[in-house]
Amino acid sequence: MANARSLVKRLKSVRNIRKITRTMELIATGRFKKAMDRATEAAAYTKKISEIVGDLGQADLKFSHPLLEQRPETKRSVLLVLTSNRGLCGGYNGSVLRNTLRHFQKLKETGIEYTLEVSGKRGIKFLNFQQIAIDRTYTHFEDKPTFTEVDELGKRFVEDFVAGRIDRLDVSYTSFESISRQNAVVETILPLAGLGSETDSKDESRSAAVDYEFQPSPKEILEELVPAAFRARLFKCFLDAAVSEQIARMVAMKGATENADEMAGTLKQQYNRARQAAITSELAEIIGGAAALE
Amino acid sequence: MSDASTGAVSQIIGSTFDAEFPEDKLPEIYNALKIDETVKGIEINVTGEVQQHLGGGKVRCVALGSTDGMVRGMTVTDTGAPLSVPVGKGTLGRVFNVTGDAIDGRGEVDHDDRWAIHRHPPKLEDLSAKTELFETGIKVVDLLTPFVRGGKAGLFGGAGLGKTVILTELIARIASAHGGYSVFAGVGERTREGNDLWLEMQETKIGDTGRSVIEQTCMVFGQMNEPPGARLRVALSALTMAEWFRDATGSDTLLFVDNIFRFSQAGSEVSALLGRMPSAVGYQPTLGTELGELQERITSTSNGAITSVQAVYVPADDPTDPAPATAFSHLDAFIYLERKISEKGIYPAIDPLASSSRILDPQYVGERHYNIARRVQQTLQRYRELQDIIAILGVDELSEDDKMIVHRARRIERFLSQPFLVAEVFTGKAGKITPMEETIRSFEEICDGKWDHLSEAAFMYVGAIEEAEEQHKKMQAESGS
Repeated sequence: MANARSLVKRLKSVRNIRKITRTMELIATGRFKKAMDRATEAAAYTKKISEIVGDLGQADLKFSHPLLEQRPETKRSVLLVLTSNRGLCGGYNGSVLRNTLRHFQKLKETGIEYTLEVSGKRGIKFLNFQQIAIDRTYTHFEDKPTFTEVDELGKRFVEDFVAGRIDRLDVSYTSFESISRQNAVVETILPLAGLGSETDSKDESRSAAVDYEFQPSPKEILEELVPAAFRARLFKCFLDAAVSEQIARMVAMKGATENADEMAGTLKQQYNRARQAAITSELAEIIGGAAALE
Repeated sequence: MSDASTGAVSQIIGSTFDAEFPEDKLPEIYNALKIDETVKGIEINVTGEVQQHLGGGKVRCVALGSTDGMVRGMTVTDTGAPLSVPVGKGTLGRVFNVTGDAIDGRGEVDHDDRWAIHRHPPKLEDLSAKTELFETGIKVVDLLTPFVRGGKAGLFGGAGLGKTVILTELIARIASAHGGYSVFAGVGERTREGNDLWLEMQETKIGDTGRSVIEQTCMVFGQMNEPPGARLRVALSALTMAEWFRDATGSDTLLFVDNIFRFSQAGSEVSALLGRMPSAVGYQPTLGTELGELQERITSTSNGAITSVQAVYVPADDPTDPAPATAFSHLDAFIYLERKISEKGIYPAIDPLASSSRILDPQYVGERHYNIARRVQQTLQRYRELQDIIAILGVDELSEDDKMIVHRARRIERFLSQPFLVAEVFTGKAGKITPMEETIRSFEEICDGKWDHLSEAAFMYVGAIEEAEEQHKKMQAESGS
């Protein structure tokens, strides 16, 4: 019965794992709901503000904001990587980090200096294992990143960019498109130009039609608006990452629970067979022994 | 005792029969009895071996041939001695049955002597105390289950996992490079396999001498079609011939047995017919004794060595079955074939974790070999432990260290495969003999992560690690074009 005993042990551990994955799935579902509400709310705001910035960029103005200006040469860049603090979320961290490594390769080839900032314990662990030096780490962004927390980073990036300490800011994160679609991407969010033109091309007819009047002056308005747009954009990255994480976890845990169910089924079947075989052979021995004695 | 005492058959039960002798001329246990009579125009020629004294002048015997056509009252002659087989250099190149008659149709055997098949094992003081490594050129065997020169190795495996193939491969590798004599015992396996082997041995040449392996080999067969008595004693017949080579010529002798489980199985059949009470799982109560008497004789003495390789069938893939479990304790090197590995298409399907060897110890194989073998096993062990987790949660949930272990374990697992010399006609791949030094170096480099960049498929069926690299390049070139 040695075999049967080990099967029981495995069966128990599989059932325990199933309990955990099932719970994780339920929690992730709850959190996903909240995170998605936040993300969709923020999405509307971010979209509008990006549109306005895009429109303004289109408007023939003599003045240009420093955050919008495309530098002729990129020397130093910052790469911000958004991963989760917790595991058990399938390929969520894996695909972001794979993308990040690919981006690294590109940066190295073009000879751009970079500083690396990582949010999330998973990413920090992975990059440490790959022996890639990290300049700054954050682990306080959970599934509900607040605007104030993100804004601290945003302010610093704006200051550094304006002062010319950095020429570019890339964010490697998972963008949330719909419940069934999340993509790991690397996006350049500073300078903001890339963003403006993107919104532009979509609604070209409309933006061209809008004619703005500036009060008190275009310069003052841009001073306010552009940094706000950038912060909203950065905040959106964090929100997207949070939603995607919950979705990934939900999907991964659902799959894991199903796998565990299946495995528990086959183990149970194997155990039953082993038990039955042991009983049969014991019976056969007793009967055989008794028959031989007669 | 006069050797002409005769008696009469009094009862026939399957392949056992009882004979009645005068009380004062009772044949001794293990004596061979002969029946040679013509009944209704059919000549019946059977040899029996006395197993029990029943009292009242009766003895119970096991027939070593078919009992078909035997009738009560037939005359039984006591030969006055146990069954004996011809021994000597004249037996080389010949094929025998259990009673020592040549069955290859090449006439009489020119023999020096006849030895009884029941003998005592060598005395303790005569045993050889040397322990020396025996290289086979098979990577997984040399690394994880190194053979002992003058020792015993067992190939355990369920039905259809390739025991016979590995055994034939070992004959091709060892016997062709071996100067001494070989004895092959076919015990209860397919007759076809024996025939194939016989033909193969005629073709295989020993080194560059131009002589075929068969000239240095004698073969003894008692296959599936034979009655249990023959299958029970054929291993002893072969062993006796091997013992002669060891004791009389003092040379290194190889003894191949396929399949020792059939010996136990025949013993169980006979035991039931003799009316002994069955023991665990229906085996004979004397299972351990019977096997012990056989195995204890397969040893090396200070005079000469017998290196033996035995195939052991594992019924229902259950190694805790009494027959394989009993055989296990007698062996120096233990190779276990695993169905899960053969299902992956990795041959030889040797389980690197269940297999072991007495001499996988720094004292015998050296510190480096030992450490690498253990590292390989640790990696594979960890991979096996992680498999449940991978099945439930996926590879992504593993820590980076574990991912690396899985990555290497999957490569090691495939690298343990190797093309065989005897399988060349089936696979189209030339057999590879990998020297021990290269085997150790290859596994060391895989464990160190030098070959992490090669694809998994590149590790399948190659010799040393450089061939994996070559295969990788070739595969890339093919997929590229």
